Amino acid sequence: MSIGKFLVKRLLQGVLVIWGVITIMFALRAVSPGDPANLIVGPAADPEIRDQVREQYGLNEPIYVQYVDYVQGMVTGDFGYSFQSSREVTTMVLERVPATLELAIAATIIAIVIAVPLGVISASRRNEPADYGATLFSLLGISTPNFWLGLMLILLFAIFLQDPMETYLGFTIPQGRRPVGFGEAMMTLVTTGYAGDLLTWVRHITLPAITLGTYFTAMITRLTRSGMIDEFGKPYVTATEAKGIPYVLIRYKHVLRNTMIPIITVLGLQLGTLIGGAVITETVFNWPGLGDRLIQALNARDWPLMQGIIVFIALGFVLINIAVDALYATLDPRVTNE
Amino acid sequence: MIPDRLESNLRQGFRESLLPKLGLVLLASILIMAIFAPVLATHNPTRTGYLDENGNSYPPLGTSYTTEIGQDGEFVEVEVESTSDHLLGTNDIGQDVFSRLVYGARTSMLVGLLGTGLAVLIGVPFGLVSGYYGGRVDDVMMRIADTMLAFPSLVLALALIGVFGSAGFGIPDPLTRFGLIDGMPESTTLPGTVTVVVALVTWVWFARVARGEAMSVRNEEYVTAARSMGASNWTILFKHVLPNSLTPVIVLATIQVAAVILLESSLSFLGFSGTTLSWGYDISRGQGYQRTSWWISMVPGLGIVFAVIAVNLLGDWLRDALDPNIEGEGGGA
Amino acid sequence: MTDTDDILRVNDLSTRFFTEQGQVNAVDELELRIERGEVFGIVGESGSGKSVTARSVIDLIDAPGEIVDGEIWFDDAELAERVREDAPDAVDGSFVDLLSVSSAVRQSLRGTSFSMIFQDPESSFNPSLTVGEQLAEAVEVQRRASANPRSTKAKTDSAEYSFGNLLLSTVLPSQQFVTEESRERAIELLELVGIPDPVERADEYPHEYSGGMLQRAMIAQALAGEPDVLIADEPTTALDVTIQAQILDLLDDLQTETGMTILLITHNLGVVARMCDRVGVMYAGEIVERGTLEDVFDDHVHPYTEGLLGSIPELGGANGQLEPIGGNVPSLLDHEMEDRCHFADRCPMAMEDCLDHPPEFDAAGSEDHTVRCVLATQSYTEREALPPNYFGDAERPAGEKHAEPAHSDGEQPAERTRTTISDSGGESR
Repeated sequence: MSIGKFLVKRLLQGVLVIWGVITIMFALRAVSPGDPANLIVGPAADPEIRDQVREQYGLNEPIYVQYVDYVQGMVTGDFGYSFQSSREVTTMVLERVPATLELAIAATIIAIVIAVPLGVISASRRNEPADYGATLFSLLGISTPNFWLGLMLILLFAIFLQDPMETYLGFTIPQGRRPVGFGEAMMTLVTTGYAGDLLTWVRHITLPAITLGTYFTAMITRLTRSGMIDEFGKPYVTATEAKGIPYVLIRYKHVLRNTMIPIITVLGLQLGTLIGGAVITETVFNWPGLGDRLIQALNARDWPLMQGIIVFIALGFVLINIAVDALYATLDPRVTNE
Repeated sequence: MIPDRLESNLRQGFRESLLPKLGLVLLASILIMAIFAPVLATHNPTRTGYLDENGNSYPPLGTSYTTEIGQDGEFVEVEVESTSDHLLGTNDIGQDVFSRLVYGARTSMLVGLLGTGLAVLIGVPFGLVSGYYGGRVDDVMMRIADTMLAFPSLVLALALIGVFGSAGFGIPDPLTRFGLIDGMPESTTLPGTVTVVVALVTWVWFARVARGEAMSVRNEEYVTAARSMGASNWTILFKHVLPNSLTPVIVLATIQVAAVILLESSLSFLGFSGTTLSWGYDISRGQGYQRTSWWISMVPGLGIVFAVIAVNLLGDWLRDALDPNIEGEGGGA
Repeated sequence: MTDTDDILRVNDLSTRFFTEQGQVNAVDELELRIERGEVFGIVGESGSGKSVTARSVIDLIDAPGEIVDGEIWFDDAELAERVREDAPDAVDGSFVDLLSVSSAVRQSLRGTSFSMIFQDPESSFNPSLTVGEQLAEAVEVQRRASANPRSTKAKTDSAEYSFGNLLLSTVLPSQQFVTEESRERAIELLELVGIPDPVERADEYPHEYSGGMLQRAMIAQALAGEPDVLIADEPTTALDVTIQAQILDLLDDLQTETGMTILLITHNLGVVARMCDRVGVMYAGEIVERGTLEDVFDDHVHPYTEGLLGSIPELGGANGQLEPIGGNVPSLLDHEMEDRCHFADRCPMAMEDCLDHPPEFDAAGSEDHTVRCVLATQSYTEREALPPNYFGDAERPAGEKHAEPAHSDGEQPAERTRTTISDSGGESR
C-alpha cells in the first residue's frame, strides 16, 4: 500500500469518526431534559416570544429535520448561534483556538525537550542516581492532578518565594483576557523590533504550560526510558556495535529513533489527555482558551456552543492523529507495506 | 486467573523492588481510611463552623498565620493559632480538613473501583465480540471505538454530566447506622452519575485490549477444536477467549483505576460531582484562599497524589511481571 | 608456541556473567590459537560458550557479562607501534594484547580489524534504515580509519563524530556521518556478494529482503571494513537448507579471494566439515578437543565429540537417524559446577578418574590434536566405571547398557539412549 492510499483510508475513517461525534453530540442534546427556549429567553418569557425563538433556532422542526440541518451546518462550518450570547458559535470557537493551541504546543515542547533527554539518560545509566531521580520524578508527574499542581505552583511563587515572581509570572489572568497573544507579540517584534510583548506572553504562559506539561513530561520520560531499554536489548544494536560506528550514532541515529517511532503513536492517542488537561488548566489560570469557554458553556447549558467546541476538539484530535499516522508511516518503513 | 508462570515473575518483582511494597502499603492505608472513615475521622466531615471567634479557619497543628479582621470600624492584624482539635486545620466554612481527607478517600476509592469495574463490564465483552467475529462486525465496532476515542475523556464526561446532571445516592454506612459510632454521617454519597460517566468514557481502552487478545486466540487450535466439537460462539467466548484476555485486562484495570481517580477529582474540582465530600471538590474550596489558607487545597491534593501513586506502583509491578504491551489513557487531569 | 603465522592467540580467557541466579562461567580459561588465513571452527551445543568466546574476541560482551581474566594477543605490527607508547606491557613484538589496551583502542578495531556476521540476519539489521545506509556506515568506518592513520588516537579523543555533528547533520548534509562515496561503495559490496539490482536494493529496507539475501548483505557489511578476522556466528542457522549452501559457498569464495581469517561458530558439524581447516569442540566453556578436521572427525578421542558426530544426520547414526546425546546441557552456574570433567554426568564412559578435572592431553594424529579427556592416556575399563546412578541422574546414557556384560568389552558405547535433546543445539531459540 502506498503512503497516499494509506492516508486516504485514514481520512475516510476520520470522516466516519467525525460523523459519529456529531451524531453523538446531537443525540445528547436531543435527550437532554428541559426546553432549550427556556435557556435562551428564560422561563418567565412571553409564550409568543418563546415560540418565535423556537422557530428561529429551528426547534419546532421534527427531530430528523433538525438532525439533517445540524449535520449540514457542521459540514459547511456553520455551528449555529450561541443560546447565551446569540453570537456565531464558529466565531466564538475560532477566537479561542489560538490561546489553547499556544498552551498545548508550549506544554508539548516543554515535555519533549525535558523528557527525551531525561529518558535517554535514565536508560543509559540504569540503576544509578540519575535514573532513580528520573523515575521518581516521572512517578510523581503522572500521579499529580494538574489543577492541583497549578494551584501549588501559584502558592509556591506567591507565598514561599515571597512574591516578586508573581508580578512577572502573571499567574492568573483577571478578566480572562490575556494582554497579548503569541501572534500579535511576534508581529510587534517583527515590525517594530519591540520584544516586550513577547516577554509578556512568555511570562503569562510559563506556569500554565508547566502545569499542563508536567504529566506529559513524566509520561514521555517513562516511555523513552523503557523503550530505550527494550531497544538496547535487540540484536541489531549488538550488530551495529560490531560495525565500529561512533557510539553517538548507535544511541541516537539507531536506538533513539526506533524508540521514538512507537512513542509518537502513543502520544497521538494521549492527545485527548492533553486537551482534557488544557480544559482544566485553563480554568485554574483563567486562560482564555477553548476549555475555559467550554466550562462556561456547560454551566450555562449553552448547547450550540458546547457542541461546537466539542466537535471542533474531536476534529482536531482526528486530524492530528492522521498526521501522526503519516509521520509514523514515514519513520517506520514497515507500516505501508503491510 | 493468573497463570503459574507469571506468579513467579510477580513474586520476583515484589521481592526485588521496594516500589511494589510501598504501593501496597499506601493502597492498604488508603483503603483502611476509606472503610473505617467514621472511626478515624475526628469530626463530622460535613459539619461547618469550626472557626475561631473572628470567623477565621484554623491552620494545621503547629502553624499559624496572620490575617486582618474588622474591629471597631478598622482593620486589625491578628495571628490565628492552630488548635489540637483540628490536626490539619479547617477550611473556609469551618469544616475539619483531616476528617474530610479521611472521608474523601471513600469517594475516590468507590468511584475508582466501581467506575473501572463498570468500564471492564462494558469494554471487555465489546472487545471480545469485535475481535472474535472480525470482519464487518469488527469494522463497525472499531469505528464506534474510534469515535469514542476522538473525545477527550474529560470533555466527554463533562458533556454527559451536562446532559444528565450529577446525581448522587446515599449508601448507608453500617458503622454509624447500627450505632457503633456516633456523630458521623449515616450514609456515604456515591456520585452515581460520575461513576457511570467515567465508565462510559474509559471502556474503550478495555475494548481495545480485549479485542487484541480475542484476535490472537481466535485461530488457536484449541478454539478451533472447541468449535469443531459444536461449542457455540458464546461458549467459546466465555470459556476460552475470555480467560485468555484476563491478564492484560487486570493490568489495564489497575492502571485505569489511577486514571479514574484523577478524572473523578477533576470533575469534582470543576463542580460537576454528585457529592461535596470529595478531594477534588475540597481543592476547589481552597482555590481563592491559597495565599493564606494554603492547607485547604494542599491536603486533599496530597490525598489524590498518594492514592494515584499507590495504584500506579501496583500497576507498574503487574505490568513488569506480566508484560502485556498495553496502553491505557493517562489521567483525565 | 610454534613459529606458525598466528594472527590470534587467546590465553586463559575467562568470561563470566553475573546474573541474579549466580555467577555463570560461560567461558573458562580458554586457550585458542588461530593462524592467519585459516578457517577455524568452534563447534558445540547451545550454551557451550562458543558464541561468548567469539563475542569476547570482538569485545561485544555486555553487562552482566564481563571478561574477568586472560589475554587476547592479536598480530598487527602497525597497531603495536601505535599502542607501544601508551601501553608497553600490551605489546610483544608485533602482537598486541587486546585486553590490556584501552577500550577506545579496542573499539577502533571493530569493523576494521574484526567484523562479525550474526546468525539471524533479520534481527541484526536496524528495521527502519535502508540496507544501503547501514552498509555505508560500515564502509565509512573503514574510510575514515584509512584516511586518518592515527585513527585509534583520534577515536581515543572521541573527536571523530560527536553529538554536535549529529545535531548539525539534521540540517547540513555535509555533517552526516555517511558520505556519498560510502554509499556508492556499499552498492559495489552488494554486487560483490551476488545481490541482483544492487542500486535499487540498496534503497530497500531489511524487511523487503529475503533471509538469504539479507545474510548476503550482512556478509557485505562485514567485508566493508576489509577485516583481518571475520567472526561468523552461526551464519547459516536461521536460513533454509538450500540457502545455507549458497551462503557457505559465498563465504568460501570470499575467503579464498581476500585471504582473511575466519572464526566460524557453529553447532553444525556438516558446516565445519565443509569450511574449516582446524576445529575446536567446545563444552561447558572449555575446548574439550581440538585439532585438524581429520583429527576431530576421524581420530577423535573425547566421547563428547563422538556424541556430536553421532548426532548429525549426514555423518553419524545408522539409517540417517539423529542420535542425540543423552542428558542435558550442563549448568554453567559457578556454584553448580563441580571440579571434574564437566561431561562426566552425560558420558557413557565415565570413570573414577573423571572426577578430577582433566588437563589437555596430546592425542594421536596431527601435532595440533589435543583432548581434555583421560581416555587419551588410558582406555575405558568396566572396573573403574562409575555406577550409572552416580550423578543421581537416571538420564545418564548407556550406563545401564554398560552394566550388562555383553557390552562391556569395547571402548565405544554400543548404543545410546535416545532421550531428551532433539538435536545437537543451535542457538536459534
